Amino acid sequence: MAEIDHQAELTRAGANVSGHWSRLLFYMRQHPLGAIGAVIVIVFVFSAVFADVLAPHDPLHTSAPDSLKAPDTTFVMGADMMGRDVLSRIIHGARISLTVGVASILLGGVIGIVIGLMSGYLLGWFDLLMQRLIDIMQALPLLVLALVMAASLGPSLENTIIAISIPLVPNVARVVRSSTLSLREMPFVEAARAAGMSELRVAVRHVLPNTLAPLIVLFTAQLGAAILVEASLSFLGLGVPEPHPSWGRMLSESAAEYVRVAPWLVIFPGIAISLAVFGTNLFGDAVRDILDPRQRS
Amino acid sequence: MYSYIVRRLAFGGITVFGVSIIVFLIMRIMPGDPLTAIFGPEGMTKLTEAQRQSYMEELGLADPLIVQYLNWIMDIVRGELGRSFFRAESVGEMVLRRGPLTAQIAILSVILSWILGIPVAIISALRPNTAADNTARVISITCLAVPGFWLGMLIVLGLLFGFGYRAPQTAGGAGLFEDPGTVLQIIIGPAFVLALGQAAYIARMARSSLLEVIREDYVRTARAKGLNGRLVVSLHALPNALLPVITLSGILLGFVLAGSIPVERAFGTPGLGYAMFTAVNERDIFVMQNLVFLYAVVFVMLNITVDIIIAWIDPRIRYQ
Repeated sequence: MAEIDHQAELTRAGANVSGHWSRLLFYMRQHPLGAIGAVIVIVFVFSAVFADVLAPHDPLHTSAPDSLKAPDTTFVMGADMMGRDVLSRIIHGARISLTVGVASILLGGVIGIVIGLMSGYLLGWFDLLMQRLIDIMQALPLLVLALVMAASLGPSLENTIIAISIPLVPNVARVVRSSTLSLREMPFVEAARAAGMSELRVAVRHVLPNTLAPLIVLFTAQLGAAILVEASLSFLGLGVPEPHPSWGRMLSESAAEYVRVAPWLVIFPGIAISLAVFGTNLFGDAVRDILDPRQRS
Repeated sequence: MYSYIVRRLAFGGITVFGVSIIVFLIMRIMPGDPLTAIFGPEGMTKLTEAQRQSYMEELGLADPLIVQYLNWIMDIVRGELGRSFFRAESVGEMVLRRGPLTAQIAILSVILSWILGIPVAIISALRPNTAADNTARVISITCLAVPGFWLGMLIVLGLLFGFGYRAPQTAGGAGLFEDPGTVLQIIIGPAFVLALGQAAYIARMARSSLLEVIREDYVRTARAKGLNGRLVVSLHALPNALLPVITLSGILLGFVLAGSIPVERAFGTPGLGYAMFTAVNERDIFVMQNLVFLYAVVFVMLNITVDIIIAWIDPRIRYQ
């Protein structure tokens, strides 16, 4: 019989890790890619929050003499057609990107949670109607539905958030509905009901909290998608309008005319989008592995 | 099998009908006057109320919503799909002219995604959690993160600066078999960019599916009877592991249609995606509404086709 080193096994499983910091360190060692993602996400959030302090120039300040200036010491990433500093616009772009991403996920999430809870709880005609509606919405790819919504609502920050949030609703509603269906038969839900709790209270206090783990997994997975869709919408001339510095729009402007004279206008915003999505996806994968080990690939 | 197909088709029909209603409503809640798109904000101020009214009637926008909707459905049934605000040809003609290019891009991208994704998945699955597997994983996550339209711009730029090369802007209406050189030059770029994202998904799915299949008894039996490892994988494991990959690939093909909108813009490809981009920017509601409807029909049909193929390959699903 092979000797089992209990202490080593416990360490490997992270069972004897105590305290928040050592737990964090443990997860980082278990998921090195996730740790890299987390670092990128932190940088991303940091530049979004402190854009005003971090940006070396005013992202909206135009100056004719600096038009299309190549990268140098004052303009680290060059200047665009209107002489605006590209680096400052990218730092402020993180704010737009993150705002749209997080807000659309939250909005879509709230709508999806309400629909999913009601569907799984009420069943009957409401559930049937919602299921068909969700089928219909899922017959259109995320980008197409968001594109139509954005075109219909008109370009503005709020409308972009709405346009991206609606196509995210079906997935959330599906996840919440299926958890609700299995949870409503659980003994603890029956116990709460037997104790005289109102249905609404049971749904919000007992069912909803138990659907949160898969939801957080879904939200982190959706964040990358939402950021990409925002960039695509802005690239297509919808989405967040001027003068907001949106990464996708920066590419859209440079794509047409200045590509030959100023390649830096194409390179840097694209790197920003890629890094942000890369980081959130890595981070999301790690969150999934930690919260929902069954889905681990 | 037939009842299965009929059931799937019926559900698909209901979904497409629902999509038509939703798309129609979204298009009609559009704030602002649809005529602004035609005459521009300045031209609008010069229009008298009577003129405005007559244009609206001419375009059928003054009718009650239900009449407008029924007219549109009749248009679809006739295969005309309505007219653009700006161009003489009907949307139906435009789809026939531009559609084949986008369809070729989509199909080529699926082929490329299998060529890129499956070998990577096999390498990863045979040696899970090694350096090769981890490299493959990082590359696939990178492929998912890089926006296709940006990569497209970089490719166009790189070819232009590096080799002074520009892909032809139009094949002059020639098909793939009439003028393969020109058409291939147009479609290879967008197809490659769109293939990368799909390949990442396919590699991921095929890897986990292979890892599961490799643990099955029949794979162990094949090994035990002395079949060499390469044949075990290619004859026993791979065919069974590919079922979920086929499903995924079909779904991804639908998403390629959406992805082709920004990617075709980046490459300047004269396909349907570019037409959608133009329509969106011109606020051409008739073109938008019909193209979105077309996307939905293709998407639903793809899903049904994939389900039927899967049911045909795997009898267990058919009889559920």
